[in-house]
Amino acid sequence: MTELVTLSIDGKQVTVPKGTLVVDAAKQAGIDIPVFCYHPKMEPAGMCRMCLVELGRPMIDRATGQPVLENGQPKIQWAPKLETACTNVVSDGMVVLTRSEKARAGQQEILEFLLTSHPLDCPVCDKGGECPLQNLTLDYGPGKSRFLYNEKHHAEKHVPLGELIWLDRERCIQCGRCVRFQRLVAGEPVLAFDERGRDTEIITNSEPAFDSIFSGNTTDICPVGALTTADFRFGARPWELKSAASLCAQCPVGCNITFNTRREAKSGGRVVIKRVMPRQNEEVNEIWICDKGRFAYHFTESEARLRQPLIRRNGQLQPASWEEALDLAAAKLKAAGKDALILAGGRLSNEDLFNLKKLADGLGAQSVLYTHVGGGDLVTQIGLASGTNLADLGKGDTILVAACDLYEEAPIWWLRVKQAADRGATLIVVNARATRLDKHAGYVVRYAPGDETVTLQGLLKQDKIGAAIREAGNLLVFYAADGLDLNGSTSVAAACANLLIETGHFGRPNNGLIGVWPHANDQGAWEIGFRPEADLAAALKGKTVYIAAADPAGDDPRLAKALQDAGTVIVQELFQTATASLAEVVLPAAAYTEREGTFTSGERRVQRYYPAVPRWAETKADYVITAEIGQRLGLDLEAGAPALVFNRLTAEITAFAGLSYRKLAEVRPQWPIVGRADLYYGGTTYENKQGLGVHLAAAASAGESPHLPEVRKGSGPRPQEDALLAVPVTKLYDLGVTVRSSVLLEARIGLPAITIHPLTAEKMGLKAGEKAMIGLGGHENEVLVKLDETIPAGVALVPRSMGLPVSAPAPLSVGKAK
Amino acid sequence: MSTFEPVLTRNTRRPDSEKIATYLANGGYQATRMALKMQPDEIIEMVKRSGLRGRGGAGFPAGVKWGFMPKDAPQKIVAVNTDEGEPGTFKDREIVERDPHSVIEGVIIAAYAVGANRAYVYIRGEFFLGVKRWIKAIADAYEHGFLGKDILGSGFNLDMSVHRGAGAYICGEETAMLESLEGKPGNPRLKPPYPAQTGLFGLPTLVHNIETLACIPHIIERGAEWFAGIGTAESKGPKIFSVSGHVNRPGNYELPLGVSLREIIYEHAGGIRNGRALKAVIPGGASTPMLPADQIDVPMAFETLKAIGSELGTGAVIVMDESTCMVQAARRLTKFFAHESCGQCTPCRLGSTRLYEILDRIERGQGKKGDLELLLETVQGIDGTTFCPMGAALVNPARSAIRHFRDEFESHLANKRCPVNGR
Amino acid sequence: MRVVEPVVELARGLATTLRMIFGEKPVTVQYPEEKRPVRPRFRGRHVLKRYDNGLEKCIGCALCAAACPADAIFVEASENTDEARYSPGDRYASTYEINMLRCIFCGFCEDACPTEAIVLGDNYELSFTSRREAIYPKEMLIEPVPPGGQPTPQKTPPGVFTRSVPEMKDSQD
Repeated sequence: MTELVTLSIDGKQVTVPKGTLVVDAAKQAGIDIPVFCYHPKMEPAGMCRMCLVELGRPMIDRATGQPVLENGQPKIQWAPKLETACTNVVSDGMVVLTRSEKARAGQQEILEFLLTSHPLDCPVCDKGGECPLQNLTLDYGPGKSRFLYNEKHHAEKHVPLGELIWLDRERCIQCGRCVRFQRLVAGEPVLAFDERGRDTEIITNSEPAFDSIFSGNTTDICPVGALTTADFRFGARPWELKSAASLCAQCPVGCNITFNTRREAKSGGRVVIKRVMPRQNEEVNEIWICDKGRFAYHFTESEARLRQPLIRRNGQLQPASWEEALDLAAAKLKAAGKDALILAGGRLSNEDLFNLKKLADGLGAQSVLYTHVGGGDLVTQIGLASGTNLADLGKGDTILVAACDLYEEAPIWWLRVKQAADRGATLIVVNARATRLDKHAGYVVRYAPGDETVTLQGLLKQDKIGAAIREAGNLLVFYAADGLDLNGSTSVAAACANLLIETGHFGRPNNGLIGVWPHANDQGAWEIGFRPEADLAAALKGKTVYIAAADPAGDDPRLAKALQDAGTVIVQELFQTATASLAEVVLPAAAYTEREGTFTSGERRVQRYYPAVPRWAETKADYVITAEIGQRLGLDLEAGAPALVFNRLTAEITAFAGLSYRKLAEVRPQWPIVGRADLYYGGTTYENKQGLGVHLAAAASAGESPHLPEVRKGSGPRPQEDALLAVPVTKLYDLGVTVRSSVLLEARIGLPAITIHPLTAEKMGLKAGEKAMIGLGGHENEVLVKLDETIPAGVALVPRSMGLPVSAPAPLSVGKAK
Repeated sequence: MSTFEPVLTRNTRRPDSEKIATYLANGGYQATRMALKMQPDEIIEMVKRSGLRGRGGAGFPAGVKWGFMPKDAPQKIVAVNTDEGEPGTFKDREIVERDPHSVIEGVIIAAYAVGANRAYVYIRGEFFLGVKRWIKAIADAYEHGFLGKDILGSGFNLDMSVHRGAGAYICGEETAMLESLEGKPGNPRLKPPYPAQTGLFGLPTLVHNIETLACIPHIIERGAEWFAGIGTAESKGPKIFSVSGHVNRPGNYELPLGVSLREIIYEHAGGIRNGRALKAVIPGGASTPMLPADQIDVPMAFETLKAIGSELGTGAVIVMDESTCMVQAARRLTKFFAHESCGQCTPCRLGSTRLYEILDRIERGQGKKGDLELLLETVQGIDGTTFCPMGAALVNPARSAIRHFRDEFESHLANKRCPVNGR
Repeated sequence: MRVVEPVVELARGLATTLRMIFGEKPVTVQYPEEKRPVRPRFRGRHVLKRYDNGLEKCIGCALCAAACPADAIFVEASENTDEARYSPGDRYASTYEINMLRCIFCGFCEDACPTEAIVLGDNYELSFTSRREAIYPKEMLIEPVPPGGQPTPQKTPPGVFTRSVPEMKDSQD
């Protein structure tokens, strides 16, 4: 039980937990104390002095230790000078005056000083309209400055801090929120103060500039227009924007976001997304999102999107009507019957996947999930139970991250795991190579490629690590497929599951297995019954394949070959992908921003997203297309509102039982309070009014005892003498269909590059930054060479989704570029 | 002229005074031998009884500060402040250049008393000779067994090293100095926690000015009562006064606390140069409020100066004669502070510049009606709202100049020229 | 009597008519051949102003659109470069439209404009034959380039236009 303290703020009695800062106590009581440098997610700095208040504490008689009374009331000893509300901790009987004459004079003085150095850019400033300095000036500032206008401070105005963020040094009020965010929250201290006094300025000290994947968040918490995104630069005025609650579909974290939209002449009068803002969900993404989520939304408005159905006529894909296309697709599937195969990607919503699964079941066909991470069935059994919040983990808890580069694959999980480690949780990182998480880890375990499963099985036998796992109050295990293929990752999942089951860490909150999936809704696909196919190429042979939201041909030439050898290919996509180019029928799908739906995150939290923009051209939502095909086959599939599909889903899939759209839209009060009129406090993150989502019940927490999965014997492929082994790794920024349309990210995506050990490079006569030709799976590609001494010799890291055919560890040949 | 037998500067006039041989030959390190045989608590008690107050500017009782150091912490640090950034002050420089061993002795005793095994010296980067002397003195002290493991067979260990600053005034503030010692920009820290709880590298740290430390061996050797016998009721002991400005003999003068400002200026420093009349005195370094000529009978002690609205500060007496334009004096002093603001907090970063701009335009004869009121309001806005005590310090030149010489400011505003020098 | 009275009345009426014909000046203005001058504070059709050098005063801030009670104004901004500069500041209005059917000529847009770029002029001859035509684009609203000025976009030397908003007079004046 936390100790409570009662104090009086502006005459109002407030009771808050001991240790609360005065500024937070006031916020909880609904009293505004203006701040610039203080942010509820960071330690106070006391720099801006905006939160000056009058502060008094009961006078204590030194002799007796009792409060001195005056007319029966405790006598208050007032601090001689104004105090900052952000650095003072509440105490019993404290009296705070936030709007007294003295306090107001102090606040006014600070604002006046700030404004003497702040340009009158408000008309063109991207922050104008949602600017804490603007708002606080109106609320607390003097009406008129006593200082001379021509003595205003001038500084550099257009400073690019990397490609994504612009800095205006003149607008900066040196509150240091960005510097502290990067250092304390993101753990990437790439911003700093330079110079001193009036010349103090923000600089970036990384190469490339502002080298952080969380850089966009600094624009949210910047209390002025000093840091703005290049993406939204002069895009619109904030008050002109409409907002729609949504989810980020880039990774399995399921960050809550808000799309800001506007009808735009530049886009031919269409309503388009102008920017992505985080939406608060303290149990998922708090108030942050990563730069990929913030800047990679442009695919939805790409001119390259499919506009209408296509049918292959005389060997050419030609426009067709929906009727024709659907009739043809239905006829092909009907003819195939059991010989049909449905291949779905994790970009689809639960509703889409449910209809696809029902279609497959109706046909008696196989339903395959297109992914390189296995073990989702185990997550279904011993995944996180409801009530889980990564923010609760700390001292005494253990987090294991296995075969996963969390930083690249799920940045916000990385952030939250790092913060848990900062709070004292024991972090164990098990990987074949060094990752960004290592420096926060208590234990780093390396294995030779191929030994991943054996290493995980042996963890409990190690003294300290074994104890850290066994004796953990809570144990979370993240796993993926770093350097592995589907089989390898399935074994890793099984080994991790065994660790959890053996040590009894499952079936309760903050314990369990988390798959770090490549897509937003892979977990949902597993729950609905999709399973990946170890040898997809073989499975495709001779089948009539209905592919939705996946591009196997683009990823792997072997799969392209397999699709050419397959029977009929029906593709449902956003873009004319390599796979779509092989298709008989191409069905243009609506992007998720154009419709409603739900995703199941890797934490097994089902969350809703809402339509942000109108549907593009003649597209239809995926579940509608599937339903209309199904109806042609005489199946009873729902093509109405997604909520109706979801109702059927909850009725049929046990894990979803009891859920409804209404339940998913429920919200609870969250701390800190953000997104209301008081933007100065938490930043421009949106308040969550549209739903925090609901955890699926893990089978284990429902009392079902999980079965110990069998771990595949033997090991994965190992590097051979004289030959390099290419292992697939995931990069945050890649050429995936949902990323490559964002021009701004091009520099961060870069050219395809392989990473090898310096010794290997020396042997081959290659240098860092040089170009080389690699031969992989019978294909030649030109790549850049990067060096990394933490990876094992004989191994080359090859990024997925960068146009290189790497779906599994495979031999690689490297030669000089032509 | 009253005579005072020098205590802190007793060695500084000797040839080769900085050498350990000279120091030892004149009774050096006797206090260390004595102290290491005493109980740490005994020493703290003794320092408390002596009434020694910090010589760095704030005048905090040294013994009380020692008492704040946690007893049970496994690692503690003594940080020695030789930053001496206060304009007008040059006493620490003399001590460190001419008698560094007296400070080392003070450090050893203080470290022994509070249970610290590590001492860091922070010295102003521009003190090139001082740095050399510090390094040599520490090396010699190691060689003679006064530093290092098992000092003089007492079982007490102390390591000491010197670190140079990069030239920021604010690094004289104890927490900014600690930041700078840690290799970070010299910005003051939030207090609490105070250095005695969380100081250098997060460890309990005792921070002292070197003049304070130089007093310690004498207290040990001659007793707390002897020390307390010098000075006034609340200000005990000898003090080095750095006299500069329009006097005939500027320099360091060691005198007992409580000596009158008049005696320092007219007897020791030889009076005002060129036979001019005294106009104003800054009694304790640039950050302390100046006094007009008719207040120089004040005894130089913490409590007496405070009573008339000034401070003892570092005891750096800056003398200004009748040819001085007070607007110019205030402007120059304020420019220094505006330049030295660390930039961390708003009122100091921006307010100091604004203050300077207003003073500058008044001096140039471009002042506007209401500027004097604006000046005082700006002073009000800075004093008491800043992060560290620098805000309260930086407004002193302007505020005290207006308090005592308002007519001069008004004359500048009304006649657009200086009443003193005619420009 | 019966005969005389109508004659007198008739004569009186005709006299008035004749007096009006020859004695009074006509009030009818022969519009459109002849146009009546408007009052100095008349609020007619909007004009987007230029500086003497031809650069546009409008910086695309959309405050006029925000102030407009009839939601008649639509602004979209783009960024100036030294290669193609429209206005002295950071941004300019790449799209500026006023729906004249919606506009109530209240002049709030003038008040809101921080650069005095939009001015309600003296043109009251607004005619259109469709709703589409009632939307006046920027090309119709912006005034011609003054003599001696250059048309926009202009190529300007780097380092001259560095402010986000063109320098204005002391905000306190």
